Amino acid sequence: MRKTDILDVVSRKLAPFMFLFGLYLVSHGDLSPGGGFQGGVVIASGVILLAMAKGSAAAAALLPLRRLAVTEAVVFGLILAAGFAGVVTGVGFLADVLYDGSPLPVVRTPFVFILNLLIGLKVGAGASLICLHLFAQE
Amino acid sequence: MGSRAVEIAAILVVAAFLVLSLGGEHPEETPVRAYVIEHGLAQTGAANLVTSIYLGYRAFDTLGETIVLLLAVSGVVLLVEHRR
Repeated sequence: MRKTDILDVVSRKLAPFMFLFGLYLVSHGDLSPGGGFQGGVVIASGVILLAMAKGSAAAAALLPLRRLAVTEAVVFGLILAAGFAGVVTGVGFLADVLYDGSPLPVVRTPFVFILNLLIGLKVGAGASLICLHLFAQE
Repeated sequence: MGSRAVEIAAILVVAAFLVLSLGGEHPEETPVRAYVIEHGLAQTGAANLVTSIYLGYRAFDTLGETIVLLLAVSGVVLLVEHRR
């Protein structure tokens, strides 16, 4: 299928800003609307935009499917590890292990930030992986 | 012409339902809501109360959602690679 230059230029200019906005949603999920799931899906939509404009082969060259799959699995293991860290330290499964009992509110809570970051990575990798696999079927 | 009238009536019913259900504040004050508004920031440290629920009070539920996504990815990869 023939594509216009407009689609090519606009998608390549837009995708970095979509990645940036997705990272903003992930990293500020505990302060403002957003979070790991939403930011991850925005990141994945940037990947999908690139895949639709430049072809799934170009997107797979940028983000190899194998690497995305490994990211998905490893990050899930890290989320489980963050959960069991609470069991080991005695505060409970998936409870905040980095909270030392000082009076809240602090500026940021590292634990919620880390969980958001992990979930954002996982959702971004997973949604990209699903779409790139399906696009590669064409 | 009759089916068109039925379609318009259905759209009006749906629109009325959406206006009634989505318009404005939920009137019912539940104890859980008041509790989260009062203690959410102090107990979980997340200023965004939605985040304080899904990563604080219900982080286990969020873990289940990531498992759902992992299974969806596994299923897609399995089916796609099997067809090749």
